[in-house]
Amino acid sequence: MHQRTMHRRSPLGRPRGGRALPVVASLLAAALLLGACGGGSAGTGANGGKAGGGAASAPVELTVIAGWAGAEQSQFMPVLKEAEKKLGIKITYRIYRAEDLANVLPPQFQAQQAPGDVIFMWDWWVKQNHQYAEDLTDIWQPQASQFTVPAAEVDGRVYALPYDMNVKPGFWYRKSFFEKNGLQPPKTWDEFLALLEKISKIPGVRKPIVSGDGTGWPLTDETEHFLITFGGPELQKDLIAGRVKWTAPRVRDIFQSRLIPVLQYSSAPIEWTQAIDLWWNGQYALYFMGNWITGMVKDPNDLGFFPLPGAKGIVGATDYLFVPKYGAHVAEAKKLAAFLISREGQALRVRQGGGKLSPRRDVPLDQAPAVDRMVAEQIKGMEILPDLDDSIGGDWQRLFWDQLKLLWVQPSSLDRVLRTLEQAREQQSTSGK
Amino acid sequence: MIAVGIVWPAVQTIGLAFVDAHGRFVGLQNFVSVLQNPETVDLGRFPFHSPPWGSLLHNAVWIVLHLPLSVILGLLLAVLLQRAHGAAFLKGVVFLGMVIPMIVGGVLVRFLFDEHAGVVNGVLRAVGLAAWARTWTDYPQTALFALILGSVWLWTGFAMLLYSAGLTAIPRDYYEAAAVDGASPWQQFLHVTVPGLRPMTTVIVAMTVLWELKLFDLVYTATLGGPGGSTLVLALQMYFYGFRALDPNRAAAVATLLSLLTLAVGVGFVRSSREGA
Repeated sequence: MHQRTMHRRSPLGRPRGGRALPVVASLLAAALLLGACGGGSAGTGANGGKAGGGAASAPVELTVIAGWAGAEQSQFMPVLKEAEKKLGIKITYRIYRAEDLANVLPPQFQAQQAPGDVIFMWDWWVKQNHQYAEDLTDIWQPQASQFTVPAAEVDGRVYALPYDMNVKPGFWYRKSFFEKNGLQPPKTWDEFLALLEKISKIPGVRKPIVSGDGTGWPLTDETEHFLITFGGPELQKDLIAGRVKWTAPRVRDIFQSRLIPVLQYSSAPIEWTQAIDLWWNGQYALYFMGNWITGMVKDPNDLGFFPLPGAKGIVGATDYLFVPKYGAHVAEAKKLAAFLISREGQALRVRQGGGKLSPRRDVPLDQAPAVDRMVAEQIKGMEILPDLDDSIGGDWQRLFWDQLKLLWVQPSSLDRVLRTLEQAREQQSTSGK
Repeated sequence: MIAVGIVWPAVQTIGLAFVDAHGRFVGLQNFVSVLQNPETVDLGRFPFHSPPWGSLLHNAVWIVLHLPLSVILGLLLAVLLQRAHGAAFLKGVVFLGMVIPMIVGGVLVRFLFDEHAGVVNGVLRAVGLAAWARTWTDYPQTALFALILGSVWLWTGFAMLLYSAGLTAIPRDYYEAAAVDGASPWQQFLHVTVPGLRPMTTVIVAMTVLWELKLFDLVYTATLGGPGGSTLVLALQMYFYGFRALDPNRAAAVATLLSLLTLAVGVGFVRSSREGA
């Protein structure tokens, strides 16, 4: 990218004398204006120039964008390394959160530019912006039957492919902590409350449950688990579709009689990675989190988890990838996308651990580390449900995170929270955004 | 460049505020919608209930608290450090807050008041107020005030630096004459220093109020306007409308309101400067 920029600038040469500077500046300004007005020609953009613009022998360089950092990034990199070998390309990995990409991408696409060649993004977002995404139907169709989750489709065409799946299976604990304190995973709701009471009396424990924060999403995962357990999997689907109101008595009752009694045993929201350390060190005993936590602790074999007693479904969040239209190397990007969702690419990712389950049926469980196999075994028979706030999306998602942060520290505001959520949901449904 | 980069986008924004999603003229409807929204003004809660009070009132509270605190603290530091040993170093330390990007400042403020890692709670525990130790930004009762206090730390360096420059411009003769007349140090401060710094105070107040009105980055990273909207400010609300709700018309209405408020401050500043000249 830099080299191309340098090459474009070099013919201007070094300004000579005092009059050269305005001339150079004018030319640059004119070039910028023309570039902006023209909106970029086909094949330009993405990485700033035409495909194959460099020397013939130089490998094509693709940029992959995803939100994984830290351990998750380390687990993803071997997959990209393998893709580089297989496809004879170079890959640069960049971290952008989906929340930021949602703001950054539309204006870039409108200017026919793309910051990456393969981008991981929410499926609902890609559907909304499918006009900027490459049609991946040809990659998807031959292997669609192998997948347990759908691709992101609009009018029968596929624009985003499922890559990996995380589940939010329940409350995590350290087996060593439970053994040391004579604790057992609960089998009934009363046992769950009794467990919380017992933990709260253990010296050195601040609260039985640590609540993860950040932008607020960990609280939504826990809330959804309560809604699914006590309202059934259908309630999750109905809330996503807007068929049930947030102010409905059955929804309110789950909050009032199930979630709120548990909040007295929960910490105030704590930045979610900091919460992992506090929980692991024994200041808290339980942590509701997705199974990516298995890749973030010192000893995954010390991990155990339990869903709320009676849960018949859990949330499975799928990461989707798409190829923007304005990448410099669309053909190569499609090849990379095909590799990433292939049996080989999926098996390689699953072997790296970190709780990433494959949405492919033909990637056997024995490829995964022991802790991930344990999760897969324990959730067998449960219905895998879409993530509620990811599915609804838009500003409602941000509002849901924020209102739950309020509820966690001020349970008395329940009715106001539910009213706010319902009003915003209705407004979003009306505006169609 | 000004026409292309500033005037035209401003005109476009104002135009957007008066039309609906289909481009039809709707008069003041977007403004009414914004101002009637409790997210903007919630008089039912203000001032007897804890925040959220609405973004407009949060900005107003910010001005009412942050402005005097940072201006007075900046003035005191400038006066105290005027002839102190190592003044340059100390001023540098205080000014560090201004050098830090506000987006980073927001993260710092958040951790400053964190229950487990925060300095503020560490101090509270050390002085026997452990019961008060909690993550201040988590609670609607304290989040707004935590952000305001944190931003005082970040902004005081600005006032201190300008006042330090202003102090060097007050002739020493004034102080000597006041001393000969028997004025105490406090009287000298009140009757020589404060009037002598009046032009500087005008600049500091105007710049600080403008910053308080356009405040965005610090709140974005510290609390994202939460919990429950209790730290929402106008610029953040505009961003949520524009980029999360994808409603450019209401976003433009908030932007126009914000511009009118900043314009009022700007006009006041110019008038005040002319009167002082």
